[in-house]
Amino acid sequence: MELNICHLYPDLLNVYGDVGNILILKYRAEQRGIAVNVLNCSIGHTFEKEKYDIVFFGGGQDYEQSIVSPDLINNKKHLLQEYVENNGVLLAICGGYQLLGKYYTTPENEKLEGLNILDIYTEGGSNRFIGNTIIHNEEFNETYVGFENHSGRTYIGDLTPLGKTILGYGNNGEDGTEGCIYKNTFCSYFHGSLLSKNPDLADRIILRALEKKFGVTELTPLDDSYEIKAREHILALAKS
Amino acid sequence: MSKIKIKSLFSILTAKLILFLSKRIFKGGSSFPGKVALKFDSNILSVVAKNYKVILVTGTNGKTTTTSMIYNIIKKSGNRVITNSTGANMLPGITATFIDNYKIFGKKKPAYAVIEVDEANLKFITKYISPEIITITNLFRDQLDRYGEVYTTLAKIMEGLENVSGAKLVLNGDESLLGDLNTNNDLCYYGFNVSPDESKLVDINADAKFCKKCKHPYNYELITFSHLGSYICPNCQYQRPQLKYAVNAITEMTPYYSKVIINETEIIINQPGVYNIYNGLCAFSICKEIGIEDNIIFESLRNQASHFGRQEALSIEGKEVKIILVKNPAGYNQAIDTVSLDERAVSVAFLLNDNYADGRDISWIWDVNFEKMTSLEIQQVLIGGIRNYDMAIRLKIAGFNTEAFKISEDFDSLLGNIKNCPSDFVYILATYTAMIDFRKYLHGKGYIKKLW
Repeated sequence: MELNICHLYPDLLNVYGDVGNILILKYRAEQRGIAVNVLNCSIGHTFEKEKYDIVFFGGGQDYEQSIVSPDLINNKKHLLQEYVENNGVLLAICGGYQLLGKYYTTPENEKLEGLNILDIYTEGGSNRFIGNTIIHNEEFNETYVGFENHSGRTYIGDLTPLGKTILGYGNNGEDGTEGCIYKNTFCSYFHGSLLSKNPDLADRIILRALEKKFGVTELTPLDDSYEIKAREHILALAKS
Repeated sequence: MSKIKIKSLFSILTAKLILFLSKRIFKGGSSFPGKVALKFDSNILSVVAKNYKVILVTGTNGKTTTTSMIYNIIKKSGNRVITNSTGANMLPGITATFIDNYKIFGKKKPAYAVIEVDEANLKFITKYISPEIITITNLFRDQLDRYGEVYTTLAKIMEGLENVSGAKLVLNGDESLLGDLNTNNDLCYYGFNVSPDESKLVDINADAKFCKKCKHPYNYELITFSHLGSYICPNCQYQRPQLKYAVNAITEMTPYYSKVIINETEIIINQPGVYNIYNGLCAFSICKEIGIEDNIIFESLRNQASHFGRQEALSIEGKEVKIILVKNPAGYNQAIDTVSLDERAVSVAFLLNDNYADGRDISWIWDVNFEKMTSLEIQQVLIGGIRNYDMAIRLKIAGFNTEAFKISEDFDSLLGNIKNCPSDFVYILATYTAMIDFRKYLHGKGYIKKLW
């Protein structure tokens, strides 16, 4: 078995260590004997929606994000939209998450067009939401931890959140939601990297891809003792 | 007594008294006396720094070492010189440094002050001081929860330059963010005309790879590390400025020192790694600009001692232990390259904390190229610090053999693991507070004589 992971704009959207999510997906798949190819897709490259089993969409610094925007909207928007609608597996973090929505406004009140793939939008905020975070996903009955650092306030409308916030601000600091899920698209503000302390979510993403491609519905468990200990460290912060 | 306002005098005396007490009682530097002095007289820095020719050192990485190198060279040249101690690089700490050296009575002889300044604090310092020289070492993504992005940092530094058009800027020419700065200052650039490894390709995960003027990707004639090197934009032709001081040859690089030719002068920099060549080159450039002779610079850099967790060497029960401070991906990657120069069998300790001074967000470890280390012969992997398990996960995913892991929950067990590890040489890569705390611990155990 083989999985192709697409890294969108690895040379531009590459801050906050979010590349770790790809390294983790690759590691966890390879431990199960699944070969993984990481395919970079940046400015001027074609988004080959048929080829990818998982797409990773991270965030960048403002300057780099301004370079990405035109390429994304002019060359990749429709292909990415078809990929998402066709149940393609996608993980979007922070800036990537915001870009999937209808629009986002900068703290300077400039309204920037998004990809309009998800029915969500983001407003700029004056203060940043920074800190360790804990959320709980009721449907999966799983708890995820991470670190948020964003000034955007995202409103997800009718979409399912990735989790309800137990510690931290989440999407907007108001409605107690964090991230969102649409079909096989998972969005979050969590850095950390997100998947580093949430191996259950990492495996869920791998499994969605394997199910779609090969009909596989089960993964052999791995030794996650470090991951569990690291997660416990964050969980303890909520109790203190 | 020269003309000085009563308010200023009171402010100085109070701060001096607190300084005296804190040195006696706490045995360490502190910015508290500076804070008190500023409360009494917000203008106090301009009073106490008045007779100094000030050199300010800022930028993401290399501030402390470069400051120390410049200080040592000026001292060796026979000039009077003062400097701030590490950790005191914001307005209160810098104010305290000048007050500590301020003589209320007697004639004030001319002297240099070599001052390390936090990037965001530059504008507070230049409000009160007109420096002779300001240097900016480089700009890398740092702890993003504290500093924000590289363009934000650059904007803060530029604000600091607004008030001081009389200062000469000595800048890293290999840093593409520092070309064409749009200021009226005199400027000169330093950089490399050779690369340590013939590299021309910029790492996909590096910063500032896209033209700051027209957003096209740069081409590089050479890259020293990360995004530093000789760049040119193929679209708008924005390119590295003319270098006044250049490394024209790298003759030797060992785990202890590097030997290079700067312009025509051979220099031995008694600290390893490319990043320390940059620090030495910056110190060389500044000292040439103030008229110090080559032989004095040569002698001083050749004897440059490490200190305070910058490649500091210790002996623990017969083992040679080196502490390297790691704060951000670019610095960590350089530390890894330096460890890689060592061909002996070594063990490496990775200490990761998430206190405010380390950055609360530890995500940045995923931007460090630990994968590069898996080809080294590391006998044992010691892991510690508040976020020890996050570090263990990072190293596991990088491809380290987890059977070689020794994870410590506290310093007692870490020290035990160091003593018991199979190799005679141990590198400790530690974030800021992990380094400070472990040094204090080792001091308590008698392995470090001088704490500060």
